[in-house]
Amino acid sequence: MIAYVPLMDFSMGQDAAGLRGELRALIDEHLPPGFLGAFTDDPADLATAQRFCGILAERGLLCLAWPPEYGGRGASAWEQTVVREEMWAHHEPRGAQYMGVNWVGPTIMRHGTAGQRERHLPPIARGEVIWCQGFSEPDAGSDLASLRTSARRDGDGWVISGQKVWTSYATMAQWCFLLARTTKADRRQDGLTVFLVPMDAPGVEVRPIGCLMGPHHLNEVFLSDVRVGADAVLGTEGEGWRVVQEVLSFERVGIARYARCERLLHDAPAALGDAWAEAPDELRVRWTRALTHCRRARLLAYRVIALQDAGTVRPGDAAAYRIAVTRLDQESAEVLMDLAALGGGTRFQEEVEDHFRYSHAATVASGSIDIQRVLLARELLAVS
Amino acid sequence: MNTELSKEAADYGGQASRALAAAGEDRAVAVLGELGAWDLDPRGDADDLEAAAALCRSAGYRAVDHPVADRLLPLGGPVTQAHLEPGGTADPRDVALVLTLQCWTLLGMLDRAIDLTREHVLVRRQFGRPLAEQQGVRFQLSDAEVERVGVEMLAAYALWSAGSGRPEAVDDALALRLAALEAAETVFRTAHVLHGALGFCDEAPLSWLSRRSQDLRRRPFGPSATRDLLARRIDGRGLTGLYSEENV
Repeated sequence: MIAYVPLMDFSMGQDAAGLRGELRALIDEHLPPGFLGAFTDDPADLATAQRFCGILAERGLLCLAWPPEYGGRGASAWEQTVVREEMWAHHEPRGAQYMGVNWVGPTIMRHGTAGQRERHLPPIARGEVIWCQGFSEPDAGSDLASLRTSARRDGDGWVISGQKVWTSYATMAQWCFLLARTTKADRRQDGLTVFLVPMDAPGVEVRPIGCLMGPHHLNEVFLSDVRVGADAVLGTEGEGWRVVQEVLSFERVGIARYARCERLLHDAPAALGDAWAEAPDELRVRWTRALTHCRRARLLAYRVIALQDAGTVRPGDAAAYRIAVTRLDQESAEVLMDLAALGGGTRFQEEVEDHFRYSHAATVASGSIDIQRVLLARELLAVS
Repeated sequence: MNTELSKEAADYGGQASRALAAAGEDRAVAVLGELGAWDLDPRGDADDLEAAAALCRSAGYRAVDHPVADRLLPLGGPVTQAHLEPGGTADPRDVALVLTLQCWTLLGMLDRAIDLTREHVLVRRQFGRPLAEQQGVRFQLSDAEVERVGVEMLAAYALWSAGSGRPEAVDDALALRLAALEAAETVFRTAHVLHGALGFCDEAPLSWLSRRSQDLRRRPFGPSATRDLLARRIDGRGLTGLYSEENV
């Protein structure tokens, strides 16, 4: 026989285990019981999230994976994964700041000027700033390239006009990562440019949209002749589509949805106590299946991370994970709602109800599941 | 973390696949012998375990009509429910390994079913264009591929779990089996519907691949029995994972 060297190993290692313990201890110490995230009607929840970001930043845990020169620890992709899992499992106590850490900062690192990096990266690393994403419009959802918000040159700067919609956290954000059309081109994906827009600029108006997920998740953003300087352009003018594709790929693996599903499913028997034994056998089989699907989604995420680390990831790999994890989110929510109807106590039931409401958005947010199916099929059917 | 078989094991699987394709069905078992399959020691050697997994996958891909996994790790008969009970006659690690290697064979069958379907929809034209250009076809193929790649990851995980002697290895093997059987239903249904009537004809490899998958999908435990067995084993505690006791 050939001398084989086995390489397969699914452990994350001691560093990751230590980090997980550190994060859980901070969560236990600093989050109030029953915390359901920053996006509630109670301003104290937002304050908790802001405070928690500061605590993470002080310990170098907020931007763990960033290079040290930008306030990070240059941690491994696996340590970054642990952070994503623990944060999402515990109702994302970083609030909206996960976006700054996960993709706004890294995109500015890659495409920003020295001045933009100096201006924007330190506040993100210190946990002091909230960003929102100005992509979707009333007539440009999955078909993002059809957007109409435009920016025209005006002296040294630009004037932006148009409307964005479904803009999460716009009511609390200080900055918007905004995509606008700067020139008309034969190909719709050309002539788009990314702008970094202060939300307090004159002409920016935010109107909240009441929705199933709760407050702050959906807003309209109106831009009426908003003037920004030349330094608001991120990357090369007219090449915003390329930047946005990178952003979307960061986002597709960014949220560890499986971690919350797994934690709630795992907690269910203890929360239900004696009621667990009375649950119908069929429901306990569904619970078993959902746990199996949790593991499947988690392993698909790890596959994408390993491929990213090796520099060989393709859009279809992230799409396969997204399809699996968004279906899991909704499957687990259905199972958990059935279990919570049998008991479990107020805290468990509130967590489950929050998960159920939030899971509705899973197959829509960050690129709908059908777009993921298109991306995966495109890769499968590519003729080599 | 490394989620893939060693390059050497993957190469061995590739070599087996090519040899099986060249030899034809009558010589398949002999070819496996010539490749050293029956000299592998998946119980005692981690390198051989990965090689065995790759070999099972290739045997599945070529629809070899032989119980390769059971022969690589003989338990003195098929796996039964008694093997899964505490104090059973077989070493639980061996039981987990056999169940896992059987799923590696089934995974090879899913690989082939997806490949065959992909090739078919790229060339079969209806309504003036290849089937592959129909969005409905693309969506079905994507959904089948998600199932297949999910099994690939669970199979790797279960192999690592049993190979490294983890106490929950039988649960992990059953979780893999649960997902693999459900995936097989989706993948083969999709493959058949997209092949149309051609997929039932014996001149189409899908026809006999689909039939040969049945044995692995029903024995030792079909989908209902597998779900039931796993549900009873992990009732109230769940699978080992991020929030089980060892990680809390």
